Amino acid sequence: MKNELRRAWLCAIPIVLLLVALAAWAHSARGEGGEPPYFAITNARIVPVSGPVIESGTVVIAKGLIQAVGASVTIPPEAWVIDGKGLTVYPGLIDTQTTIGLEQEGGDEAAPRAGGGRGRRSAPLSGEIIRDPEDRPSSTPWRIAADEIKTDDKRIESWRNAGFTTVLSAPEGGILPGQGSVIDLAGNRPGDYVVKSAATLQISLRPGGFFGFPDSLMGVIAYIRQVFDDVSWYQQADPIYQANMTKSARLRYDRTEQVVAAALQEKEIVLLPANNSVQILRGLRLADEWKIRAALYGGQEGYKVAAAIAAAKTPVLISLKWPERPKDADPDIPPSLRELRFRDLAPSTPAVFAKAGVKFAFYSDGLSGPKDIFKNLKKALDAGLAPDVALRALTLDAAGILGVGDRLGTIEPGKIANLVVADGDIFNDKTKVKHVFVDGHWFEVHEEASHDKPGDKKPMQSVDSVHAKTAGVSR
Amino acid sequence: MKSLMRISILAAAFAVAAIPSGAQDAKTILIENATIITVTHGNIEHASLLIRDGKIAAIGTDLKAPDGATVIDATGQFVMPGIIDCHSHIAIDGGVNEGGTSVSSMARIPDVLNPDDLDIYRDLAGGTTVANVLHGSANSIGGQTVVIKLRWGKPASELPFEGAMPGIKFALGENPKESNFSPPAGVSRRYPGTRLGVEETIRQAFIEAREYKKTWDDYNQRKAAGEQNLIPPRRDVQLDPLVEVLEGKRYVHAHCYRADEIVMLIRVAKEFGFKVRTFQHVLEGYKIADEIVASGAGGSTFSDWWAYKMEAYDAIPYNAALMTERGVVVSVNSDDAEEARHLNQEAAKSMKYGGLSANDAIKLVTLNPAIQLGIDNRVGSLDVGKDADIAIFNHDPLSVYAVVQKTLIDGQIYFDRQTDISGRAALEKEKQDLLDKEKKAADDQKKSDEKDKDKDKKPDQKKKPPKSGDSMEAGTVGGAL
Amino acid sequence: MNSRTTASRIARVALLLAVALCAKSGYAQTAPAVYAIQGAKITTLAGPVIESGTVVIRDGKIAAVGANVEIPAGAQIIDGKGLEVYPGMFDPITQMGLNEIGAVRATVDLDELGDYNPDVVAATAVNPASAHIPVTRASGITEVIATPGIAGFDEQGGGLIPGQASAFSLAGWTMEEMQLNRSIAMVINWPSIDTRSFDFATFSVKEKSFSDAKKDYDKQIAELSDWLDRARHYAQAQSKGSAAAYERDLKLEALAPVVEGKLPVLVVAQSARDIRNAVEFCSRQNLKMILAGGDEAWKVKDLLKEKKISVILGPSERLPSQEDTPYDKPMTQPSELFAAGIPFAFSSFDTSFSRRLSQYAGTAVGYGLPHDEALKAVMLNAAQIFGLADKLGTIESGKLANLIVTDGDPLEIKTGVRYLFIRGQLTSTDNRHRQLYEEYRKRP
Repeated sequence: MKNELRRAWLCAIPIVLLLVALAAWAHSARGEGGEPPYFAITNARIVPVSGPVIESGTVVIAKGLIQAVGASVTIPPEAWVIDGKGLTVYPGLIDTQTTIGLEQEGGDEAAPRAGGGRGRRSAPLSGEIIRDPEDRPSSTPWRIAADEIKTDDKRIESWRNAGFTTVLSAPEGGILPGQGSVIDLAGNRPGDYVVKSAATLQISLRPGGFFGFPDSLMGVIAYIRQVFDDVSWYQQADPIYQANMTKSARLRYDRTEQVVAAALQEKEIVLLPANNSVQILRGLRLADEWKIRAALYGGQEGYKVAAAIAAAKTPVLISLKWPERPKDADPDIPPSLRELRFRDLAPSTPAVFAKAGVKFAFYSDGLSGPKDIFKNLKKALDAGLAPDVALRALTLDAAGILGVGDRLGTIEPGKIANLVVADGDIFNDKTKVKHVFVDGHWFEVHEEASHDKPGDKKPMQSVDSVHAKTAGVSR
Repeated sequence: MKSLMRISILAAAFAVAAIPSGAQDAKTILIENATIITVTHGNIEHASLLIRDGKIAAIGTDLKAPDGATVIDATGQFVMPGIIDCHSHIAIDGGVNEGGTSVSSMARIPDVLNPDDLDIYRDLAGGTTVANVLHGSANSIGGQTVVIKLRWGKPASELPFEGAMPGIKFALGENPKESNFSPPAGVSRRYPGTRLGVEETIRQAFIEAREYKKTWDDYNQRKAAGEQNLIPPRRDVQLDPLVEVLEGKRYVHAHCYRADEIVMLIRVAKEFGFKVRTFQHVLEGYKIADEIVASGAGGSTFSDWWAYKMEAYDAIPYNAALMTERGVVVSVNSDDAEEARHLNQEAAKSMKYGGLSANDAIKLVTLNPAIQLGIDNRVGSLDVGKDADIAIFNHDPLSVYAVVQKTLIDGQIYFDRQTDISGRAALEKEKQDLLDKEKKAADDQKKSDEKDKDKDKKPDQKKKPPKSGDSMEAGTVGGAL
Repeated sequence: MNSRTTASRIARVALLLAVALCAKSGYAQTAPAVYAIQGAKITTLAGPVIESGTVVIRDGKIAAVGANVEIPAGAQIIDGKGLEVYPGMFDPITQMGLNEIGAVRATVDLDELGDYNPDVVAATAVNPASAHIPVTRASGITEVIATPGIAGFDEQGGGLIPGQASAFSLAGWTMEEMQLNRSIAMVINWPSIDTRSFDFATFSVKEKSFSDAKKDYDKQIAELSDWLDRARHYAQAQSKGSAAAYERDLKLEALAPVVEGKLPVLVVAQSARDIRNAVEFCSRQNLKMILAGGDEAWKVKDLLKEKKISVILGPSERLPSQEDTPYDKPMTQPSELFAAGIPFAFSSFDTSFSRRLSQYAGTAVGYGLPHDEALKAVMLNAAQIFGLADKLGTIESGKLANLIVTDGDPLEIKTGVRYLFIRGQLTSTDNRHRQLYEEYRKRP
């Protein structure tokens, strides 16, 4: 009897272990079972971005941070050693404008004109229309992506498996949709993901109103101008009021004012959409007028006006959704020459920026997945973007623009351990990502899990990038 | 960039056309041997016009080309001042109207200028050099307006006419009361719904503007007197331009049709102490021309549009001539990018309808709109010292057969018909080359996609997860990305 | 001075008095019915220009024209010295009498409900008292075609077959008096493959994929085909069968002459593709097609030539429909069509802008169309294209006396019409605009 029981137990153990192993494998996270959070990748080619390439070296990760990196460093005895022979280690890639982790707004695919963000209308159901800027149409700047993260978004894994460790996720909808948060693509609870909760102040120039104010581009701009004026006023008036309450009428409460004032106080970068050259120059002028620290997003016709952008020292988040022939276009109506030139030259923008000294990063802008991201990056490389510049745009410069450059974007001691380990040059389409570290958590990438099948996910809408579907709106 | 293409072709054309005598000086141009329509001092035949540094340097019958000057042989041709369109909606991005609210004075056309609007070029090709770019007519008080020069190829910041008084658009009658438009079910109508309310909207706005101005004046006074801890008033971007109107620092351009509403606005303006600068369309202006003269406003009207709306039913093509007869400064405008290609023809109609002289007809699209816009010190006639904004026609511009050959702004050729024509083949070729390139790339992509698909179809052995320490094989199949 | 001159002087004064009286009365035409325009430059469009000649009008028709023509006794003599005589202009696509004020729905009778209204006839609803008629004829247009369902400056386009177009002279008490051909063509608005459409419900632009748009288009063409097939069967039954055997169908009845090739179809198509599709369809269906609009006719000249399609052009002063089309294409197209031997006529496609017909033609001359061809294209060609050339379009004995006497080149802007003859009657050029002008000019 006893022997049988013991045999039963003995048989059970491998089964249990197998189950555990399978469970772990399915998640592809390694080492979440309570092992010491120390890792070392040895004999690897290391591209720190902050310094020269180390042809063969070691990266040591300790408790979520990079502890050491170099040709020969001390490896803590607790460390789980990964042989990086034949592998290259890069800082984790950063996608600077996404809705990853956020619930997609209702599939109301109606016209781009009416109702800015999908599903978000400013007209309340009663039929009352916003007519007055003081009613703050389409403004929810207090919405912070970090508060709304849903961890079951399939894109988290899909992006991570391709080497993106970090994204900026921002709410959509309306003129002041909210604030974007820098999130690392791993964690248990939503809060684990958040690196910086209030990183960007998002602005959209698409009229959010529906038969209300504003319903034109100039109306939107006028509205934003009023908001910034009000914020200035509030910043001036509130301290005076607080110090002299018995001497003046009290100030009304305006949430938009207060939230935007706080955001500007915290030096959050303000994101203005601008894709064609007219919009870019307009964006620079408005940022200057409103005295805000801004970054432009879209930027695809930047090749025309790089000098002006450089002079304004304004960074640009470049949309990787290069303009292209729509899938089901009318074959008898060829695109205009202007549009053709735009399609031809847009991918050269990053290279032109690099030459002109414009700081830039990239974002996926609704591309269906990393496969397309890298395909489109390749177009930029083919158009003259140097690979090391491309890498910096995806790492250090992206982090810098988002205000987390002190903690992310390079492989340096003290930085958060976000790494991607691949079996070759990351821009080579034959290269496979083998490991990804996010906040020092190790993820192994398996072939099956790495392919993102097109059509699986709902195609993402563009994040308010004011696309020149034709380069520039003429009427 | 199309414009760069054109400018480079132009530069090439210049190089060919110039007298080969030393360094080319594109800033000095002599337009030779034409009929010069000065507008201010008659037509001069077999005359020449010298341009230096963007200005008219000389006009006469015995001018000689200075060294290095570009010579434009205009024998048999007609040289007139560039046409000024006092009512235009070209070059506007993202909507001509901010119709979401009754008073949209916070909206600014200068914010949304689009220098890439092809209509700029097309209007240049009709001899138009200056446009008063206006907000639409959806609001009793609409948005801020701007005068631009049609400097095709320049960025938005270089379009506005330097020093021109900024403006604001008002609209009276059917459009601001939305009588020809119904919002969808469930959407409440915007005030005002009748002409009764149009007046009240304007009065109410100016009352608020006056009070707003007062709060700022009070604040500034108290601050200047040394008072501490004053909370400033809020800036109100909607009321600021109305204060400017009250202070005479912003022109009012009022879209209007019916005689009674024109008289109404004159009365309201008087009540608040400002003057209307121009009545736009003013199709019934002929009925109350004296009142318009007394108010000091100009009238900017259509040549012969009528009957598309009830308020346009009494419109007559004699409007411009009759108002002119009574002393109104009248211009004829386009309100339409296509119409702005032949304002010379539209001006000619007032010779037939109302018997204006040829020179008075030409004034309708040159000197008069310049006066209305306060820019007649710079443009509107061919006088020494004025800007070299010039249109060269192959026939008398008041003839239906006249075709613009060249258009200059600030002494620079922005449109040249011959260059346009000869440049077409190259543009077509460029377009075809780009289409071919795109097609080839798409075909290549399809082929490589099919190859990838085939690769995926190969039996995919489940690879064991590599244990730490495993070495990687070089050259793997299938992309991870 | 001799008696002839005195007589002519008296006649002239009497005439002017008569005309002045007319201005007061509601109606603008005077009797008697015999006139002689003497000593004018006459462009007959049927031969060389007569530098100084006479046109005799009697009983509504041109009785005689020539350098030396006998003037019948009792004729009202009009001194044409310094003046020019031409056939009146013909605007073959307008909404004349069907549209008074575009924005006021009660005054518009252009688009009956539904997509297929082949049985409605423009003449039914033309208002002979429309203010547009005197205004338009004062600019030298003596006859027009009113087309249901074709959009003007201030209207939307109509259904697929909005109805039959009617031709009429611009003077008369009733349509019965005015009409030249009550049913001169069947209007077809050729459907486009529309990937973008404006949805009035949400007030926004809706986008469709090309394949979806093409499916919708194919459905519409199939439906049109079906209508024509049914009309054929109906026509067959009508001609061969007994009327008692089937129910009368007004719409199919109206289409019968179309499918029999007797009534031409006036097809509005602008883009090259639409034109091609329309031409090929009409060819297959054996319909007699006249192309209306033809914005991109220049792209399909060979096809138009091959199928012998005539074109009624819209205003030559319009913007090119595509960004890359040369800026002057709409202005040069008429000369291109002329060079290719494709018959065409100018039209305004409008009512309040009908008086710009001469301006459109004149502009085309500036951009290369020979002057004579331009004159033909506003005076004669439309009559030829629409089968009215036996009645109109030239100054020849026997034709309807629709004539204009101008003080200069009729295509020039400054030129005015001094005398107007419609249906052989001297017609006043007075009109609403002149009346308002005179009235307010008198304001003290």
